[in-house]
Amino acid sequence: MGKLIKKFGMMNLKYFFKLIALFCLLANSELLYKNLSEEQLVRLNYLSDNIRCPKCSYGNVSSSNAPISKDIKNEIATLIKDGYSDDEIFELMKNRYGNYILLNSGEDKMPIYLIPLIALIISILAVTTYTIKKSK
Amino acid sequence: MKRLLFLIFLGFFAGFIYFFSLSLSKPKLSDITLQEGKMLPSIQELVDLNGDIIDERSLSNGKVLLNVWASWCITCLVEHPFLSKLSKGEDLIIIGINYKDDLSKAKNYLDENGDPYKFSIFDYKGYYALKLGVTGAPETFLVIDGKIVKHRIGEINQKVWNDEFKVFF
Repeated sequence: MGKLIKKFGMMNLKYFFKLIALFCLLANSELLYKNLSEEQLVRLNYLSDNIRCPKCSYGNVSSSNAPISKDIKNEIATLIKDGYSDDEIFELMKNRYGNYILLNSGEDKMPIYLIPLIALIISILAVTTYTIKKSK
Repeated sequence: MKRLLFLIFLGFFAGFIYFFSLSLSKPKLSDITLQEGKMLPSIQELVDLNGDIIDERSLSNGKVLLNVWASWCITCLVEHPFLSKLSKGEDLIIIGINYKDDLSKAKNYLDENGDPYKFSIFDYKGYYALKLGVTGAPETFLVIDGKIVKHRIGEINQKVWNDEFKVFF
């Protein structure tokens, strides 16, 4: 390896790595969503951050590698290009996959946070009344 | 007081056990909404594995079982014998949706394992499946006169058929 570096020189090696970087960029060019303006790309990111992957369920469309997520992201890009608003796209996805698909729905989650809080309050009350009574 | 605390604790514990067993006993397949009650999406230029254009009416005429399959899908291979058996028995048409597959591999798959489908829609990019609400393979839709009456995500077998699909026949 050392001989090889000497033979080609450090400069050539740098060009070699630059070439590899260029190839990586070309291989990922399908992810760049051509024909979308800067503002539309921001919207695409916002929408795919807030729509759940229907197959894998652990995360949103933009963080998932499932083929269905890629398809949905492409579809969102097409819908944005066709002039659909964010709400219309959310509605369309909701109609197809249900409320579950929306990550920012904000509903049905209150009990999850309330249950431990209620349990904590009850246990604090129980322990304090018990200790007060015992000390008397 | 001690007894009361003990009873409260016992109550909580029993409650937890109850909810835990309740959630365990429910078969949870998917959280996403199934496509039941919806009409088949309309899409132009559907082609079969031979490249022939499919008449959309053939999908919405009578009882049609739409089955999403692919040669790369292991579970599809598992349910394939059941579909073959079904194609000989019940009064229904089975149509395949070949999902994101290589054409030659798909044809090979049917040559090797038999072809229970009247024909298969060649959905190379998964575009039709996406409109249909498919999340992967295998999935099966029972369509009666263009309306989806049953949607199953995952394998179908004799038990699933008897439990969920048989009522429509």
